[in-house]
Amino acid sequence: MMFSASVYSSSNKTSTSLSDQDAATSTVSPVITSKIHHDQFTPSITLSSISSHVQEHDHLYPSPQKIKKKRNLPGNPDPDAEVIALSPKTLMATNRFVCEICNKGFQRDQNLQLHRRGHNLPWKLKQRNNKDEVKKRAYVCPEPTCVHHHPSRALGDLTGIKKHFCRKHGEKKWKCDKCSKIYAVQSDWKAHSKTCGTREYRCDCGTLFSRKDSFITHRAFCDALAEETARLSAAAAASISIPNTHHPSIINNVTNTPFNIQLSSQNSTTSLFHFNHNHPNPTWIPTQDPNPARIKPETINHPHRPTHHLLPAISLPYYQDPDPTRIISRAPATFHGLHVSTGVHQPPAHHLSATALLQKAATVGHVVDHVGSTMSGLDMGELGHVTSSVGYHQHVGLTSGSIATWHKTDRLTRDFLGLTGDQEVDHHGGVEANVNVRSMLTYTGGIEIPADGGFGTSGSDAWGNC
Amino acid sequence: MDTMFTLNQCHHQSFNSTITTSGSSSRSSTEHHTTHHHHQPPQQCFFMEEDNLSSSSSIHPYYSPNQFPSHDNNNFHHHLISTSPPPQLKSHAFSQDVVREFSDSLSPNCWSRELLSEAARALADNNSSRLQQLMWMLNELSSPYGEIDSKLSFYFLQALFARMTESGNSTYRTLSSASAKTCTFESTRNLLLKFQEVSPWTTFGHVASNSAIMDAFNGETKLHIVDFSNTYCTQWPNLLEAIATRTDDTPHLRLTVVTTTGSNGTETVMQEIGNRMEKFARLMGVPFKFHVVHHSGDLSYFNLNQLDTKTDECIAINFNGTLRSVSYDRRDYLLSMFRNINPKVLTIVEEEADMDVGTDGVKFLKGFEECLRWFRVYFEALDDSFPKTSNERLMLEREAGRAVMDVVGRRPECSVERRETAERWWRRMRGSGFDGVVISEEGCDDVRALLRRYKEGWSVLQPEMGAGIFLMRRDTPVVWASAWKPV
Repeated sequence: MMFSASVYSSSNKTSTSLSDQDAATSTVSPVITSKIHHDQFTPSITLSSISSHVQEHDHLYPSPQKIKKKRNLPGNPDPDAEVIALSPKTLMATNRFVCEICNKGFQRDQNLQLHRRGHNLPWKLKQRNNKDEVKKRAYVCPEPTCVHHHPSRALGDLTGIKKHFCRKHGEKKWKCDKCSKIYAVQSDWKAHSKTCGTREYRCDCGTLFSRKDSFITHRAFCDALAEETARLSAAAAASISIPNTHHPSIINNVTNTPFNIQLSSQNSTTSLFHFNHNHPNPTWIPTQDPNPARIKPETINHPHRPTHHLLPAISLPYYQDPDPTRIISRAPATFHGLHVSTGVHQPPAHHLSATALLQKAATVGHVVDHVGSTMSGLDMGELGHVTSSVGYHQHVGLTSGSIATWHKTDRLTRDFLGLTGDQEVDHHGGVEANVNVRSMLTYTGGIEIPADGGFGTSGSDAWGNC
Repeated sequence: MDTMFTLNQCHHQSFNSTITTSGSSSRSSTEHHTTHHHHQPPQQCFFMEEDNLSSSSSIHPYYSPNQFPSHDNNNFHHHLISTSPPPQLKSHAFSQDVVREFSDSLSPNCWSRELLSEAARALADNNSSRLQQLMWMLNELSSPYGEIDSKLSFYFLQALFARMTESGNSTYRTLSSASAKTCTFESTRNLLLKFQEVSPWTTFGHVASNSAIMDAFNGETKLHIVDFSNTYCTQWPNLLEAIATRTDDTPHLRLTVVTTTGSNGTETVMQEIGNRMEKFARLMGVPFKFHVVHHSGDLSYFNLNQLDTKTDECIAINFNGTLRSVSYDRRDYLLSMFRNINPKVLTIVEEEADMDVGTDGVKFLKGFEECLRWFRVYFEALDDSFPKTSNERLMLEREAGRAVMDVVGRRPECSVERRETAERWWRRMRGSGFDGVVISEEGCDDVRALLRRYKEGWSVLQPEMGAGIFLMRRDTPVVWASAWKPV
């Protein structure tokens, strides 16, 4: 095996690693310590700093100053940190720390040190050279298609990168026996099992459920959902269409418009799922609509639905669909044509972080407001691209515009979430950046669930407050 | 007596009568009970042909023994119940025998089965006097508000009477339209969702079918589900959620719902359901299209062109409680008809019973016994799941009562509730060009997890032979769910 080995500063850790082909860009000199156990470890990359790496590809990355600002967000490491790329095998290896005496492996360095004491080593060898302070490290994901594969998006914590790799790219081996959800990381599974079944789901109408499936069925037929009005479906029509990654140059032009978030008037459209449980606003996700360029007139002009749906009790004659276009698909050609078939796909909801989804909602909300001008001015592809770059970072790649966009949206997203205190947004506490759609469908509360499953037997009464 | 026999009154005086439950009086029928109860609308009048009145017995002017139908003639008699006043509630001389025969031997827990079986036998044997006595006795003990035996007795007696008087079709239609009058989107929804909350009876089939459908749809981008079911789309929200969250590229979904209940008020209900489904799909972020096709008559005459299937889409056909509505001799044809669409998967959920009551004596008895058994299982399950005073349970029992009327009271060619066993369906499917698809481990886990969320007493059984899985209620298979693919 080729090693153009590198050292972490000058500390003699037992976990010295070697670099492999990935180290093509490394410029360090080959030094091999005596403590290498190369059958244990596959090579890794070590760079002196991110900045130097950045300089090599400076047309792609923003200046370090911008990165520094975002240090605390996941995947935005300390620019002075050393970037380490471990192979999947190394990452998944459970016993990375090996005793040089007896070759016993340990999961943690502390455990190894404890073990070494038992060998009655001479005092000198006992000591570790701690003269140089441990340099901050950042780890990249070995999966090439992953956004965290790039050093600028490395994660600062070894456990973190391990978990990330397992979660995103690993096999899901752990399964909840209550609800049969599967997990790749054991601690995730454990954490879920604790809360599974104890969690409560709240519908907009106020009813609480302990079971997700009955919650979902209820929600689908709940009158609170039916209150969703035309402007939301119009918003949906303006949302994600085919993301178009072929025009990176257009991004900068486009970024301006969608990010003028109009919060006040768009309150209901910008609330997603159960962040605003106090609001009776329906929650929704902008979705693919086969006719994004055309706001469905029938839904815009849709008459306000009364809360009490008292349908005529007489049996109708053989039902003729009065408006086939509304229910049946629109022109199949359009439908088919707009369907993404090129492999560039819609950002799947569950890959999006909460911030991204909120951002999308904001984007959509805005577009609705300026339907005439904005729509005519924008190519749907661009709009799609923007939203996809916002949300679906995995596929955007590291083009010049995207990082700028991402950071910009980060700033705006944080504003949006009220983290900077600029906006008045009623949000649900601190939002985890990696909250996914599934968890957003849930809400933890402490109220007793009504015995009738949410629907009073007196029919319309239960919906009087919706 | 009650409305069963004095329906010529056809007015409302009996409607508001007080009700006393006869549950506690299972033993003796010599006490005077007023078991007025009313659910049937006044249309249930029976007309007797004039010339038969003279031959009616002096004690029972209500119907002539000569009017008992012989099952092999197709005359359709309408019976007029004379305008004499309601009978006295004392035991008549004729009924002493029957009372004596049964008063000591009826067990408290399933007396209805014994009495009803006897009545069916008497009917099959054309033993009119005995039948009359038994029916009288049953009538004394029947009530839709009583214990399970009283309830079963009520619905089965009604059906037997209709069979006896060959008024099954009209009675069934009356009952159906009465229920349709009060049926709204909300009532339907509330009823179904409540049922699903307390019992896995329908959700079992949903989870199993959805699992099979998700497996079959794996990786596809254009999905089309053709839905023939009696659960008003309550199956689909969870599938939509699964599509939204478990796929990397959210596929497009088309849902075509075919209704078969005709003029049951389902049109307006389905329209509203469609609206809700579309909205929910938008919420989930799934591109979705909803379409309803209303079909009347036997499903085997359905025109497949109405499905408007596309060549590039992946089709799943879902039968939930609707295969039983097809007449026996058309079932194989229907299945091969759907085989020709070449679906990716075809799911079947049916109740596990053999309700072939045939047309004649021996077959009728056997089928009748099975119906008694089946509906008892169902009523007991309802009783277990719902609270004592549940209105929803009453609605479901009435619906079951209509099913009893359909199977026992109607002629086989008109019947729409003839359930068939899984084994028979399996044979039909194999004969029609389908092969069973094993429900995946994840699917079975999902089903087991589902059952854990309900009261105990439910379990899953995977049969060694055949296909599909059974929902078991205390060792009795009640619902069968299976998935199929064309071979």
